[in-house]
Formats: sequence, C-alpha cells, structure tokens
Amino acid sequence: MYEIIEGFLEAVELIITLDPDVMAISARSIIISFTATIFATMIAVPLGAAINFGTFRGKKSLINLIQTLYALPTVIVGLLIFLLISRVGPFGFMRLLFTPTAMIIAQTVLVLPIMTGLTISALSGVDPVIRDTLHSLGATRLQFLINIMKEARFAILATVAVGFGRAISEVGAAILVGGNIMASSFMSSTRVLTTAISLETSMGNIPKSIALGIILLVIALGVNLIIATIQHR
Amino acid sequence: MRRRTLFAVATVMVALLLICGCTGTTQPDTPVDTEKQQLRIATTTSLYDTKLLDRLSAIFEEEHNAEVLIVSAGTGKAIEYGQRGDVDVLMVHDRAREDVFLADGYGTNRRVFAYNYFIIVGPESDPAAIKGLQPEEAFTAIREKGMAGDADVIFVSRGDASGTHSKEKAIWKGAGFNYSTDVQGSGDWYQEAGTGMGATLSMTNEKQAYALSDIGTYLAYKGDLDLVTLVDEGDILLNVYCAMQINPEKYPDINSTIAKDWINFMISDDVQKEIASFGVDQYGQPLFYAAQDDWEKIGVSLAEVTDPVL
Amino acid sequence: MIELIDVSKRFGDTVVLAGVTARVERGEIFAVIGPSGAGKSTLLRLINLLDRPGGGKIRVNGVDIHAEKEQRLRIRRMMGMVFQKPAAFNSTVYENIAVGLRFRGTGEGVIRKKVRDALDVVGLAGYEERRARTLSGGEMQRVALARAMVIEPEVLLMDEPTANLDPVSVGMIEELVLRINRDLGTTIMISTHDMYQGQRLAHRIGVLMDGAFAQVGTPREVFTVPASREVARFVGIENIIEGVVVAAGNGKSAIDVGGIPIQAVSPLSRGEDVCLCIRSEDLRIVQPDGGGVPSGNSLPGTVTSIAPRGPFSRVTVDCGFVLSSILSWKAVDSLGIREGSRVVVSFAPESVHVVRAAQG
Repeated sequence: MYEIIEGFLEAVELIITLDPDVMAISARSIIISFTATIFATMIAVPLGAAINFGTFRGKKSLINLIQTLYALPTVIVGLLIFLLISRVGPFGFMRLLFTPTAMIIAQTVLVLPIMTGLTISALSGVDPVIRDTLHSLGATRLQFLINIMKEARFAILATVAVGFGRAISEVGAAILVGGNIMASSFMSSTRVLTTAISLETSMGNIPKSIALGIILLVIALGVNLIIATIQHR
Repeated sequence: MRRRTLFAVATVMVALLLICGCTGTTQPDTPVDTEKQQLRIATTTSLYDTKLLDRLSAIFEEEHNAEVLIVSAGTGKAIEYGQRGDVDVLMVHDRAREDVFLADGYGTNRRVFAYNYFIIVGPESDPAAIKGLQPEEAFTAIREKGMAGDADVIFVSRGDASGTHSKEKAIWKGAGFNYSTDVQGSGDWYQEAGTGMGATLSMTNEKQAYALSDIGTYLAYKGDLDLVTLVDEGDILLNVYCAMQINPEKYPDINSTIAKDWINFMISDDVQKEIASFGVDQYGQPLFYAAQDDWEKIGVSLAEVTDPVL
Repeated sequence: MIELIDVSKRFGDTVVLAGVTARVERGEIFAVIGPSGAGKSTLLRLINLLDRPGGGKIRVNGVDIHAEKEQRLRIRRMMGMVFQKPAAFNSTVYENIAVGLRFRGTGEGVIRKKVRDALDVVGLAGYEERRARTLSGGEMQRVALARAMVIEPEVLLMDEPTANLDPVSVGMIEELVLRINRDLGTTIMISTHDMYQGQRLAHRIGVLMDGAFAQVGTPREVFTVPASREVARFVGIENIIEGVVVAAGNGKSAIDVGGIPIQAVSPLSRGEDVCLCIRSEDLRIVQPDGGGVPSGNSLPGTVTSIAPRGPFSRVTVDCGFVLSSILSWKAVDSLGIREGSRVVVSFAPESVHVVRAAQG
C-alpha cells in the first residue's frame, strides 16, 4: 500500500513539473492515435454509408464479418502489419518498421472494423421515414448522405470517440511494429504511453508507470467527456 | 450505389497516399539535420534495462551526427529482428546462438565489448544451503531438496528462451541433468515465469525462492527485494556481451557504415573505460567489466576485442 | 394529371398492388381509402418515386415518371409528401422547413421569408427556433406540411397524415388541406383508413381493396352505391344479403331471398346472383298493423336484439334473414318493442342497392 501511495505522489510530481520524457511520450501517444483515428474515420464513414445504403448480395454476411472483427486481438493486427512491413516482407522496401508511421497504420487497421460497424449501426438507426422524407424533398445523392450524417451525427461522433479510445489504449500492436524506441529526436521515437508503462513496470520504475497511467486515463476519459458534452448541447 | 462505392474507394486511396506521404517525412532526413543517419540496434531487455546503451548512444550520436534507435526484446526476438534484416546491429549475450547466427551468414564482424556474471539469488535463510557452492552444485542441491518435497525450496526460471534462460539451461546441463525430462515440469519446486528479468525477480521475491539473474537487473531492483546473492563465482556464470553487424551481403540496404562505426566505437579505449566505470556511482559496484582487459579469461580471441572493423 | 395505369407491386412473395388504375385530375382532392395493409402507403410511395412499380405505368402530366433516371429528381421535386409518422430532423423548426429549399439552392433571404410565411399558414408563427423534436405530434405534422408546401409542389401526397393525432390536430390538418387546395390549387392525394375523413375532404374517393381500386367515384357514389359487396361492407353498410333475380323490367327487379320476395330498383336481369345492400338508416320498423312505406317492401319478423349504439339503438330483426336498423331510443320507446316483439321491417325499393354477387 505504501508503495502505491508513494508512487502516486511521485507521479503527480512528474506531471506537475512537466517531466520532459513523460510529456514527450504523452504527446506522441496523442498524435499517433489521433492521426490513426482521423484516417480510420475517413475510411470508415464513407464505407459504412456505402454498405448501409447499398443493396447487394451478401450484405448481411459482410456486416456480420465486420462485427466479428470487433474482437480482433490487437497483437494479431500487430503481427500482421509486422510481417508485411518487415524488411523481408512484401512492403519491406518502404522501411516502415519501427517508425511512428507503422504505428499509425497498425492503429488505423485496428479500429477500422469497429468504426465501420458502429457507423453502419448509427446510420441504420436513422428512422426510415427520415430517409423517405429526404428523398421526397428532392435530395441528390450527396445531399441525402450529408443530411443522413447530420441526423446520425451524435452516434457517429461516439464512434470516433470509441475509435480513439481503442487506438490509444492498445499496446500489442504498438510494441510489435513500433519497437518502443526512445530516440534522441521526437519524430523517430516510437515510445507511447502504453508501451512505456509496460517497460517502466518491467523495470521496476513504479512512480513513472503510475504517472504515465494517470495521463493515459485522463486522456482516454477526457476525450469521451468532451464528446459527451458536445452531444448534450 | 456505384457512386458511393467510388466515393469510398477514392477516400481509401487518398488515405493511402497520405500515409505514403507521411513515410517520406519520417525517413532519416529529419527537418533539422539533413544528413543525419539512422542506426537501428536490436538488443536484449537485460542489457537495455541497465541503461548502459542509452549512456553510450548519447555520446555516439554527438560524435557521429547520427540517430540511434534501440529496440529491446527477449534474446530470441532480438535475433529474429537480426535475421529479418530489420536492424543494422545486433547486441546479445548468448554465445551459442551468436555462433549459429554467424554461421548462417546473417551476421558478421562480431566484437565482444563487455562481460559480467550471472548470480544465483535467494532468501537469506537459504533452506537449500547453497551459499558459496559452485553453480552446478547449487542447482543440484536445490533440485534435490525440491524433489524431496521441501516446501521452502522453490526455483523460479525465466522460462522465456532469453539469454538468461539459455544460461540457466546450460548450468542444468553442466550439473548432469536433462533439462526437459529432469527439470522442466518435474515438480512444484520448479516454476517458469515467462516474463522479463525484473518481473521474474519480483516473483522470486514474493515466493522467497531461488533464481538466476544478471547482475544489472538485480542491482537495479535490490532495494525492493528481500533476496541476497548466494552464488556469484564459477566459470559457467560468465556472461559475455557482443555486438555484431547484420550481414550487408544478405541485406544490402543495411546501413553498414554507421554499423561499423558503432562496433568500433564499442571497442574503442574511451568507451571501454566508460563501460568499466558504469554503475559505480549508483550501485557502489560496476555493472560490467571491459572485455578488452580480460579477453583470455572470458575465452575469446584478442582480435574480437581489439580489431577495428573495416 | 396523375394517371395510374395497371400499376402492380410485390414485396417478396406478397402481392401488394395488382392492376391499380385511376386518374387524378388537376386541382382535385383525391382520397384513397381502404383497410390497413391494402397498399395505400405503397401506392403513394410509388407515385412519389420512393419505390418502383413492378408493373404498369404512372404518368404525371403525361410523362411516365419511372421511365428515365435523369428525370426522377426533377419530377420528385414537383411533388411534396407528408408521412403518417411525423418525422422531424434533429434541428430547429426553421431548419426542418428550410431543407427542401436548401436542396434547391435557394438564397438565404428568400428562405427566411418563405419559412415565415409557411409557419403563418399552418398556424405556428414564431416557432422558428424551437427544436423540432420537442413539438407535439400535431405540431410536428403541421411542420411536416409546411416543409412539404414551402417548395411549392404541384402535387401534395399525404399518407394517413392524421392517423396518430388527437382530434383537435386532426381538425387543424384537415382545414389546412382544404385551404391549400382552395387557395393554391394544389392537387392533393390523401390516403386514410377513416372513410369519413375521405368523405369530408375529397372530391373523389378511390376504394383500394386487395391491391386494386374496387371503386372510384364521388363520396356520395361510394357510400350509397357501392360497386361490390366488399366496398359495401367497408363503407359501413350493415345489411348485405344474397339472392337471385326472378323478374326484371322497367328498371325494377324482384329478387328472391331465401323464398322472400324483395322489390328493388336495378338494371340487372333475371337469373343473376346478386347481393342486396341496404343501409340501416333506410330500414324503418313499424308495428305489424300499420305504418310502413307505401308500395315498398314490408317484411314481418321478430326482434332478436336491441343493442345500444351511442344515442341510438341497433335493432336486429329476423325476417327469415337478418336485417338490422338504427333507431333513436325515443323511437324504440314509442314503438314499445323489445326482444321477441313481432314487427314489420319496411323499406323502399330505392333503398335497396343491388350488386352482382360475383363481383369483389
């Protein structure tokens, strides 16, 4: 118990004094996961709309598949990307392994199924009468899509929050494709909150782990809080 | 539907393009220094966790205007990275596997730069009475007492194919046991942790058991552990660290120039002095011994500790 | 201006519409009435281009609306539709009404004026900034109406618009429908399962049964001269009895119903199997000794039940077959009848509406 309290106090000190290591790691976590979430949104939302409003064979099976992929373990995504971008892999020539870019790719792939699936849910949750009303008022395809998105905006926003939360909290893929590198330059390092916590704990640096853990919690919960506030306007 | 599909496809392509664009900016050319080279090193967790490499790489980066990226993992994984050509330099401490690595042509230009000893730690009460014994004798005693059913005698193994684990297996072999039949799974006295050294030591501490540890990790955790060093002498406990270049013939994109620079850096006189004094301020004793002084003792050739790589 | 030519539609194995044919004239209010599930909503949706017919054609102003893809948007934009469920977008009332105008790229200033005018017309002036989803059902439907009308459509389609509303709101909407048709000359097609609403609002009524129009005509025609037994039943004619024509001539027929002769006015000829439809209001009940319609039908029988029906009583008499009449309580009292009383049911031949039994 004493260890926890002591660790907690030192952690607060690290945060308040803006310890440079801790700050750099936190900033990197946010940047990488935020970028991944943006990319995933740009793909998932149009894709979700296309699937939801399209009529084609195997639509139900596709949606089932997407929902099954929600449970895709992060290490498997990490392993997959690792094999693809390792120097002996098909995309080895791009030299992406152990770069922040690789982590962005991995996290994007990771959250894509759940964001697509939730987008589909959000859009299908819009009253069919609303759809008829929009068509009846003479909406072009584009106008229709934009307005449906507007109607489902809260659910879609929640989707983005879920995506970001998942991206920033995962550690399996981040370690595999990032390597948890702490280099001298910000851009080349790949150590983020989750991988750092893992490392510091295994090295016995409890205060630092707790500090990073607090920050991770604050960020993850903070984002959800912001989204919830917007939704209640 | 067609239009929407097109829209979705277009978005995916745009996203991919952006990703490729990002790749361009994280290449060795960082916005600040135009000609900074990147050196990628794979090493084991036990070496990395001592923070020796962080200290040395800071010096190296200044002298050579380079950026050192270090990935640490279990020995097995580090070697895997080397085999896949994902790094430029491999630094491990498992002689047998290094030899295979070199023989298979994955590595070249091995140089030994430091060594230290493994230690057997355990509870102060020492129920198996191993203090002062030779490592093989100590292991035999532990096993005997454990198999006989003495509940206070437990051995916690890394159990993760790391360098430390390999050394442990070598000691069992040296003591005359067949690891897979006589030791592994032979009773509750032998427990496999499957974790890194720090976590294994924590577990050992919890159970007040015996374990094999590298000196660096033990010293780092010492304050939190109720374990003492019981056996620290014996040739078999020797732990030799080397650095080798990934073979540019197998992987032509390897940054061989900077890799060679690093290896030469490690065996340079100044760095050897740095290594020999590392950790004294913090722990009261050095964590490593410079290889150059004791090449005979540790069983390698003079060339391996002094010859610069060309 | 709207021509429905043999329109059919099926969903999976269920046939919803089969051979719907009718014309809706410009400027008229046409009500589509029929039992639930008859296909009223489907029909309106087909006209509004929200779905495609499986067979047949729909022409608006002479143009087959489903023929060319490029036309669809243009044609849809000259029609407005109000749905059964008041569906408001999740924004302000102003935004809701403005949607259609925004689609058409109308300038903001023009939109502001039109929305304000529309709100005035539907009696919701000043509601611009209210959140649409917080309105009552009736208010939401009026917003929906405003939203449909603000784009100045030539045709207004309404799918059971008052089905879920309270009576006051129903009245408001009906008044608006009449006003819109009168002041703007909009052609209106309204579907409803409330036949009295159809009667109140429409110039002509189409009775949709089993996927097709069983009858199209003025309210009076539909209610008093149903084209088939099913229509008769739907418009609330309680007495429908089967018989055979035994003699005909001079526009009059004698029909044999289970051995009892009935005089009726009908052009049908001898030997035809028919159904007789008689409205309860047209049946008079008199004492066996006197009264009754001169040169009409007088059938003696026994009262089998007297059931209350609001301020009236439904009196059922067995004359060999069952007839029921509607009488005020006062009439029942003055007749002094009760169950088991012997009475005479009397009605004029003109009250008997004869339809071929084979129909429907």
